[in-house]
Amino acid sequence: MRTSLFAAGAVAIAAALTLAGPAQAAEPDAQLSVLHGVPDLTVDVWVNGERTLDDFAPGTLAGPLALPAGAYELAITAADAADASAPVIGPVKVNLASGGNYTAAANLDAAGKPTANFFTNDVTQIGPGKGKLTVRHAAAAPPVDVLAGGSPVISGLANSKEKTLTLDPATLSAAVAAAGTTAPVIGPADVAVAEGTHTIVYAWGSLADKNLKLAVQKIEGLHSAPAGVPGGRSGAADTRSEVASNPAAIVGLGAAALLLLAGGIAVTRRQPAARRIR
Amino acid sequence: MLHTTATDPPRFLAAGLRTAALRTAAPLAAAATVALVIAGCAAPRIDPAALTPAEAASGAAAAASGQPVAGTSARPQDATVKATPDPAPRATAIAPRPAIPVRPATPVPSQPRDPAPRFLTVAGTTINMPIVEVGVSPNGAMEIPEPFEEAGWYRFGPAPGAAAGTAVVAAHVDTTSESAPFSQLKSLAPGTLVTVQRAGAPPVKFRVSRVELMAKDAFHGASVFRRDGPPLLKLVTCGGRWLDEQQNYGDNVIVTAVPA
Repeated sequence: MRTSLFAAGAVAIAAALTLAGPAQAAEPDAQLSVLHGVPDLTVDVWVNGERTLDDFAPGTLAGPLALPAGAYELAITAADAADASAPVIGPVKVNLASGGNYTAAANLDAAGKPTANFFTNDVTQIGPGKGKLTVRHAAAAPPVDVLAGGSPVISGLANSKEKTLTLDPATLSAAVAAAGTTAPVIGPADVAVAEGTHTIVYAWGSLADKNLKLAVQKIEGLHSAPAGVPGGRSGAADTRSEVASNPAAIVGLGAAALLLLAGGIAVTRRQPAARRIR
Repeated sequence: MLHTTATDPPRFLAAGLRTAALRTAAPLAAAATVALVIAGCAAPRIDPAALTPAEAASGAAAAASGQPVAGTSARPQDATVKATPDPAPRATAIAPRPAIPVRPATPVPSQPRDPAPRFLTVAGTTINMPIVEVGVSPNGAMEIPEPFEEAGWYRFGPAPGAAAGTAVVAAHVDTTSESAPFSQLKSLAPGTLVTVQRAGAPPVKFRVSRVELMAKDAFHGASVFRRDGPPLLKLVTCGGRWLDEQQNYGDNVIVTAVPA
């Protein structure tokens, strides 16, 4: 009986440790950015009832804020409101995952009413030599096409939707046109897509009010390394051919064989990815 | 300009054999002229004059690759949400926060880059060659200039002389019939002076700190192409044994140099 009690206790402790361990281990925070895309409205932004951004102006991007993973309540009030009890947008509840990267956008819906959109930003590594471009429709406008150098690269993007492209790094001459047309309603404007960077472009404002604009957010450091360095062509610099090609080397071959043997033994013990030779 | 190479299937040779072979053979045969294997892993010899430098990097905007974003390895997921957030720690988490950066979200021009390297000299060798800017081949490997007497700088990474990170400059180790200047990398003594001339900026000088072999089938790109950490220059080429069946060398020779 005592034994089984002990056993049960041990199991309970082990279980508690298992549960407590990961929770207390340093999980990476979530990163939250906030974009203000409602024209002509200066606001305060509240996170869980705390005033987090004061006098936040249209066309500005705040953050990223590092926040522990969890559920949060975001609210947007008129500037200098006493508290978050009378929001003009929200409150909206959002869930932030550990290590996640998010942008909360205050913007107009397709009909021109202030609303909030919560976007998850792709922060996975980008292949070597490439950049990512995401376009998000956050404007009071019908669906649009996105043009690069005059040609559509994204078609039929509707309000609150997004589309991501992986591209060679370049500065694009980007424009936004009503879906199916090529006459710009925004731009053309230069948008740099940099290697290893996720560039996120928001179309915001109102078509009816003729104040459509682009906002740009960049997430850097998503690069990855090339898969290799192919510096050989023929084998002409092979160590064997160098030995064989030099008559003087033949004399040393016996000693070389011994060294090869010794080297082989020495290195199999180490087993590093890279072996220092000098 | 693009250069394809054979892939690197696993191989079973003891690594140490090649290391020892290098030590022994290097001093014996500086200028080997006999090619045991004729077939190249790339194109036949090309008149360098007919080649353009690696594509212009004008809009490449390599400058933008700043600090790594926290948690980039973690994929955002909708799971792992606490059912009832505890307001008390949440409030303390937010209240003492320093000023949150706020900026106009207008499109910004790409930041100015560090001066690009233009010419490489390694003391005591015949390495005295122009540097062109290179990127990534369709197969995901670093581009290497076709002419054996040109070196390529990985333009997406730091430049030699940048405040942080590793600048990578690579070149072929051989031509279709002979060793190329970079075949001397494996014999560089620690302390050897490396000079890199730059476009519109004074030259930067480095000293060799180590020479190592990295097996191609265990190539660890993240440790070579670092964009953070101390400022280093790495000169890279192929080395070790030519693996006939793979039409490729077994190793990369990697010279690490620190600012002089």
